[in-house]
Amino acid sequence: MNNSTKALPMTHDISRALPGGSSLNLRKLRSFLIHAVVLALVAIMLLPLVYMVMMSFKTGTEIAQDPLGLPSSLYWGNYMNALASMGYARSVLNSIGITISVIVIVVFAGAMAAYPLARLNNGWSRAIVMIMALGLATPNFVTITPIYVIFRDLGLLDTYIGIILAFAALKLPLAVFFYTGFIAAIPTELEEAARLDNCNSWQVFWHVIRPLLSPVTATLSLFVMLMVWNDFTYPLLLLTDKEKFTVMIAVYRFVGNTGIDPTMLFPAAVLGSLPLLILFAIFQRRIVSGATAGAVK
Amino acid sequence: MYRRRSLYLFALPALIVIAIFFIYPIWLTGQMSFTNFAGIGAAENVGWKNYERIFSRARYSDAIWITLLFTVIVVAALTVTGLFFAALLHRLPLIRNFCRAALYTPAMMSFVVVAYVWQFIYSPLNGGLNALLESVGLGFLQQNWLGDPDIALYAVAFTQIWMFTGFTCAIFLAGYSGIPEEIEESARLEGASSWQRFRHIELPLLAPSMTVSIILTTIGTLKTFELPWILTKGGPDGATRTLSIEIIDNLFGQYKFGFASALSMVMLVIVLAVAFVQNKVLREREKVT
Repeated sequence: MNNSTKALPMTHDISRALPGGSSLNLRKLRSFLIHAVVLALVAIMLLPLVYMVMMSFKTGTEIAQDPLGLPSSLYWGNYMNALASMGYARSVLNSIGITISVIVIVVFAGAMAAYPLARLNNGWSRAIVMIMALGLATPNFVTITPIYVIFRDLGLLDTYIGIILAFAALKLPLAVFFYTGFIAAIPTELEEAARLDNCNSWQVFWHVIRPLLSPVTATLSLFVMLMVWNDFTYPLLLLTDKEKFTVMIAVYRFVGNTGIDPTMLFPAAVLGSLPLLILFAIFQRRIVSGATAGAVK
Repeated sequence: MYRRRSLYLFALPALIVIAIFFIYPIWLTGQMSFTNFAGIGAAENVGWKNYERIFSRARYSDAIWITLLFTVIVVAALTVTGLFFAALLHRLPLIRNFCRAALYTPAMMSFVVVAYVWQFIYSPLNGGLNALLESVGLGFLQQNWLGDPDIALYAVAFTQIWMFTGFTCAIFLAGYSGIPEEIEESARLEGASSWQRFRHIELPLLAPSMTVSIILTTIGTLKTFELPWILTKGGPDGATRTLSIEIIDNLFGQYKFGFASALSMVMLVIVLAVAFVQNKVLREREKVT
């Protein structure tokens, strides 16, 4: 910041310290400068992303001769090479298919489990909540060895079903907590009315509760999508068939095999992140508030 | 009014999944940790031998120490950077949402992408960081960032901090939105400066957010795997060999399933113990302030 902002004393009353219109102008200038400085700080935080995109359009010679400079032209050759050999389209389809299957499992099992937990409060429900919390806190390294062994014995290694179940289990505890909080806030009068009409518990759940859950389901689906797209450990250990790779494992294998060649690395990195960044641009409010939902309580 | 027993049937599918993917594996990991199981064939019971090995060899206590050091650095830095940006953005409603989303963007990306991009940024050959230092006349600061055992861990930590600053910032901003406008307004009328308001009003009221932020980042960082795995493979000289890398290495590099299980149990105990202690201490702190 420059002198004009420092000249502003932080006294009890700024308007008294600086009379009339000049105070207003100074305050405007000060406010403008603060906004500019903060925006600049945020821009610095984003530099690595700018760098990633910029590098993806540079030729090998350009990177060697001028590692920081802008590309002289938008060179698409890197993308062509990466697309030709990393199996991108296949891995995107795999990720989408796995995502949808995981969402279906997590939404059904999660919402159903949440219903009794939101409505009953006794030793049993508290015990189930504890079990879910354990699932939430357990690092996947603790369970990965047995899951690998179990999958191998059951022939689930390198299958879509195996990876779908593993991912679903990983996000299920979170789903239960999301839905429990939401269902607990739904007034019970609605259910009581349905019960008077002789609906059984399942009918109440299906016709009264389930239709109300779509906001949670939407947020949850975004989180599942993020996980399936970004998670690295499970597909690294459970998938070896190239045809079944998710996007990130395709990126990992591809960049690893090319020996960290920047003309391959950066286009692969952009291709790997682009769909999620677009998704984030559209749903950023829902994603950020969902991720910080626990913080408000 | 509810037929209570039948209602619990709703939880059955979820419980089955949790039992198969969490409870049974944890039990199995505990069992395997007392054997020399090598992935195939019969497992021999070896008692506490695996655990003795972990606590008697410097290599493994080093891995635990590196994991804890890495976590302390990352969590402390993330708390400060998140709070810093949240406090600024709280005062600038005009650009708050835009900056919050912009800062959050790296957290949306995969560890794989982030690791590869930063690997090149840190690269001694045409890497972005060294080139940047050169171009602003700070060439003497150039380093082999990931190749120097004294620096590598901090370089990896810096990447993780960069990635999740937006996450802690969002948590603190959520906390800010819970502070009543009147409190800040009256403090302002009484002439409290921006810093005084932050120090004496906002910081105490943000205690619950601080608890959540510290616990979530700690649990996440203790199991850090992808960044050191891709950036350094645990090197140089084991300077970034975290517990998670040690586990994967024993598991799929050497097929020592029994020993890897013992390491996993140590990790589980550390994570649960740290989360428990933090929860206790931080909740107490909330009451005091």
